[in-house]
Parts: sequence; structure tokens; C-alpha cells
Amino acid sequence: MSTSALTITDLTVRLGDLQILRGVDLEVPFGEVHALMGPNGSGKSTLCHALMGKPGYEAAGSARVDGAELLGLPVDERARLGLFEGFQYPVEVPGVALRELLDEMAAVGGSEISDRGAASAARLDMERFLDRPVNAGLSGGEKKRSEMLQLGALAPRVAILDEIDSGLDIDAVRDVAEAVEGMRGPDLGVLVITHYSRILRYLTVDRVHVMVAGRIVASGSSELAEDLEASGYDALVGEHDAGSEAVVSESFLDGL
Amino acid sequence: MPSPAEEDWRYVAVPGSLSNLQIPRSPGADPTRSTYESLLGETTGRADIVDGHVSGVAGSNIAQLAESDVSWYEPAAPVDRFAAAASAFGGSGVVVSADAGEIVSQPLFVSIEAATPGVVSIPRLLVVGAEASAVDVVVEQRSPDGFESLVLPDVEVVAGRAARVSVTVVQNWGDQTTAVGRHRLRADGGASVGFAEAGLGARFSRLHLTVDLVGRGADARISGTYFGDADQTLDYRYFMNHLGPNTTSEMFLKGAVAGAARSVFTGLIRVDPDGQGTNAHQTNRNLVLSDSAEAHSVPNLEILANDVRCGHGSAVGPLDEEQRYYLMSRGLPAPRADRLQVLGFFEESLQRFPNQKLEPMLRAAAMAKYDRVAS
Ligand SMILES: Nc1ncnc2c1ncn2[C@@H]1O[C@H](COP(=O)(O)OP(=O)(O)OP(=O)(O)O)[C@@H](O)[C@H]1O
Ligand SMILES: [Mg+2]
Repeated sequence: MSTSALTITDLTVRLGDLQILRGVDLEVPFGEVHALMGPNGSGKSTLCHALMGKPGYEAAGSARVDGAELLGLPVDERARLGLFEGFQYPVEVPGVALRELLDEMAAVGGSEISDRGAASAARLDMERFLDRPVNAGLSGGEKKRSEMLQLGALAPRVAILDEIDSGLDIDAVRDVAEAVEGMRGPDLGVLVITHYSRILRYLTVDRVHVMVAGRIVASGSSELAEDLEASGYDALVGEHDAGSEAVVSESFLDGL
Repeated sequence: MPSPAEEDWRYVAVPGSLSNLQIPRSPGADPTRSTYESLLGETTGRADIVDGHVSGVAGSNIAQLAESDVSWYEPAAPVDRFAAAASAFGGSGVVVSADAGEIVSQPLFVSIEAATPGVVSIPRLLVVGAEASAVDVVVEQRSPDGFESLVLPDVEVVAGRAARVSVTVVQNWGDQTTAVGRHRLRADGGASVGFAEAGLGARFSRLHLTVDLVGRGADARISGTYFGDADQTLDYRYFMNHLGPNTTSEMFLKGAVAGAARSVFTGLIRVDPDGQGTNAHQTNRNLVLSDSAEAHSVPNLEILANDVRCGHGSAVGPLDEEQRYYLMSRGLPAPRADRLQVLGFFEESLQRFPNQKLEPMLRAAAMAKYDRVAS
């Protein structure tokens, strides 16, 4: 069997004394786009940071990109193995123009990055942002588009986009969704973290996963997202708190 | 309570002793070639000051101080022994001037060198922009590494009504030079003065800058970038006096310290009772790149008018972890991510320098220092 783009097995993550992820299993095959949903504080961004290797996140279990283990590697090596994190809150880098960052990325990862960055800037109508500092002084929506531009430049194997649609106007959500859709291909797996099913109107997702309290408690087709939008997480959270999440997961899916 | 004079020297101590140093009668060497002058392209005029003596003046809008009519120019009363030495022993220098309405299109370049071991020099620069004129001056200060010298640079800038006058100083003193500079800027109504300093060299450098915004609507843009390593001390004491109504100012200094270096920034925005409508801001951010380096940042406000907008921001700290993580997530190894962060850190202040032609070289000089301490 061929390897998946992203394979997460029994991943637990602690941040200091805080156990945030409690055994996550998740697989995104190449060519697919998955969505990850879940209430605030359930651990979605923690999953992103732990996969990317942010200092302070103690991870155990396994997380592989195209078969290569990520855990234990420095952040930049994970990136070069093909993992991309689109940040929920992109970090401002004052005084460094986006163009300079793209040049540095190309110096490390190859000149194709420059070419793809330029193409990506044109496609996203972001050329005027190339000479502005990375994320500094950008609106929320512009920051998200800058993340998409860098994603296009790096052409990773796995893209995890943390709330790439939050703070975007309706047209921008469609643009971002179409950009993700445009990248879909046999060499990429995408995990889109979102609170809203509206992005899923423009983006065909192959599967939706729901995280509650540090675990994936349900997985299903894209209708799962719409059902959640209608009913909220309460039902899931309540049942999950009862402590039988494995059963919850199945019974929830049975009800769909 | 320390006396004001003691307070003035609270954070720093000057190395060496003044008494062993001599004031030379003539320049001890020919001027050396500057690395910065060529960046400026065409210049309107230039001058060389070596060991406190003018050894050459060329072009227009520039003359020897001794030969020009500056009878109205009264040096400020000395406030410490260095200022007293400067006023007692004079020193020679140059005057850059622009007549009323004259727009001097190319910059003037003034090279100031300390070429002889064991000497005190007092180079002077006076820049006078008459009403509605515009003039830009670039100063490079340098001395060889390895021998002691004391330099007391004295710079006075006067911008007449609606004039635009800017001065950029590249401080590139050698590693055993002590420099105590005293600079005064004055802007009349509607005038704009710009001043920037790149603090790269010297064992000990203090720059005492006073800006008087005298006339209605006068404006000052003050920027600075500094990088101390080894046992360097870089000490800035900046005083922004809003004396006239609707005056505006920005001070923006960013610096890094590594090795056992220390930096001090003491900034005071003072708004006179007549300074209604003042808009003033000062920013000083410091990167501390080693455990034994120190940076002090002391911003102060003294506001005697009621209709003003004043703000200050000050920071001292190590490289930012979030930026490092973000940049590494784009595939940059940690050393590369940090270097890019440092580049951006300096860039924010270098972009504010009045003469942007110097920017690539100043950026390279700061980063060369960073590369030495990072490896
Ligand atoms: N640096 C931190 N220090 C302490 N607690 C943290 C830290 N980062 C995250 N947490 C906690 O970990 C839990 C998971 O946070 P996380 O950011 O992963 O949630 P999320 O699912 O992304 O939420 P949201 O939908 O609001 O973005 C939360 O309870 C949060 O408060
Ligand atoms: Mg989150």
C-alpha cells in the first residue's frame, strides 16, 4: 500500500503540565482535502504546532509525512520534508519584506520556490505585498492570503491550514478555497482547520474530522460539517465528557 | 541625590585618562579613502578633517569654519569637562551652507578622521540652511583600530524657516577610540531637521544630541541604528525640546549588543508651555544577543502644555522566539531565521535614515558584525 501524505498515530501532546492532545489518529491520503473542526480550545492549533515542532510542545506517538517521521526533528527539517503550517495567527516579521523571505526560502529550498512564489503572488493578486514587511501592518485577511502565497511557493506535500478562512470576507473565502482546490493533486494532502462550513461550499472535502478535548471524536463525509453547523458541538462535547468517546464517535456517525 | 552632572554620567564610565592625550598642531596623516563616499554618487562638496584639522575642502556650499562669517554662531555653554575642552581648545572644522531658497541637489560629504595615536581632536561641523533651502550632509567618522584617541565631535545644525536640513553620521571609530559628541539641532518655523547616526565603532561613544524645535510647525526626524560588541559602550542622550506650537518629532533608534557590550539610550521629550499642539514620539528597541551584554533604555517625557500627543515605546530583549519559529516553519534553519530577524530589526531604523544611498552599506556593516558574533 502506498503511504499517505500525513499519518498521525496515537499522538499525545503536552505543553508544560497541560495535556492537550490525548491520542490523535488521523490520516490524509495524497490527493485528498480533509477538514478538521472542533470547539475553541479543543486542540486544533496545538496539533498544528506539535506537528511543526514548535518549542515547548512535547509530543509522543508518531506523525509522518510521506512516510518520514517528523517527531524529534527541528522545525526547519519538518518543513523541508514537506510539511507546511498555515498559521491561525501569522507572525509579524518587521523590516523583512515578503520578497526577502521568499528569497531566503529559495536559497534554502531551491530556485523553483521563487518561480512558484511569483506565480502565486500573481494568482492571489498579492504582488503589491511583496515589498511590504511580512505580516506587519497587514489586515487579518491579507495575512491569510500571504500564508497562501507562501504555501504556493513552497509546494509542500502536506498543508495544514489553521483557520485560513477566519476573518475573511465572503469573496476572499471563495478565493482561498479556490486556491486550495487549485493545488489539489496527487502529490499533496491538505488538512483545513475551520469553524465554518461556508468554506466547504467552494471546497470539496473528502473527509471531515471533529476534535473535542484533544481527541478526534468523529470522522465522516462533508455532510458532517453541515450537521455540526446545525446542531453545534454540544451533543458531542456532552457525550464525550461522559467518557466513552469511542462509542460516541460511532453512535454520532450512526445518527447521520 | 546625584547632581545633574553626575546623573548625566550615571550609566557609563569613560575609559582612559584625558591628561595623557595631546592636542596636535597639524594633521598627523593624509586623509584615507572613505568607503562610504562612493555610495553617494555625485556630491556637491566635500571636506576632510584629520586630527581635528581641516586638510581639504572642495566643491561648493562648503568652507573652512575659520574663513566663513559665523559671527552670530555662539557655542552653547559647556556642560562637562569634554564640552569645556571643546570650547577651550576650539578645534577647526567646516561650514556647510545653503542660501535662502537654494535647493542643494546632491549631498555633501565630510570625512572626519583621528589618524594619530594619543591625540585629542575636536572636529567641528556647522550646517546652516537659510530660509526655504534644502541641504543634506553625510559624515563619516573613522580611526584605525588598536590605538587610543579621544575625539570630541561638535555638530551644529540650523534650519531656517521652511528649510529642510539633514545630517547622517556614520560612526566608524576604531576599537580604542573614545568619542564624546555634542550635537545641537535647531529648527525654525515650518523647518524640518533630520539626523541619523549609525553607531558601529569606538570603544566608548557618547552622543549628546539636543534638538530645539523653535518655530511653529517645526519638525524633527531622528533615527539611529547601533551595534555594540566586544567591550564597546554606546551611549545616547537625546533631548527633544518642543518650544514652539504645532511642532512634531519622531525619534526612532534600534540597537543590538553582543559580547560584553553595553548600550544606553536616554531620551527626553520636553514640551514647553508654548508647545501646544505638539506631536512627538520616541521609540527605542534593543536586541541583547549575549548573556554578558547589557542595554538600558530610559525614555522620559516632560510635558508642560496640555494639548499634546506624545508617546514612547522602549524594549530590551533577546531575539523573538515566535519569529524564529515562524521563519523556521518556512524551511529556514535557525541561524538563517535569526539572521533574517536581525536584518529586519535594523532595517526598520535604517529605512528612516535621511540618505537612503547609505542603506545597503550600513545594513552590510551591521550584519557583518552580527555574523561575527553569531558564528
Ligand atoms: N501557550 C499556552 N499556554 C497555556 N495553555 C495553552 C497554550 N496554548 C494552548 N493552550 C491551551 O490548550 C488548549 C488547546 O488550544 P488550541 O489553541 O490548540 O485550541 P484550538 O482548537 O486551536 O482553538 P481555537 O478554535 O480557539 O483556535 C486550550 O485550552 C488552550 O487554552
Ligand atoms: Mg486554533
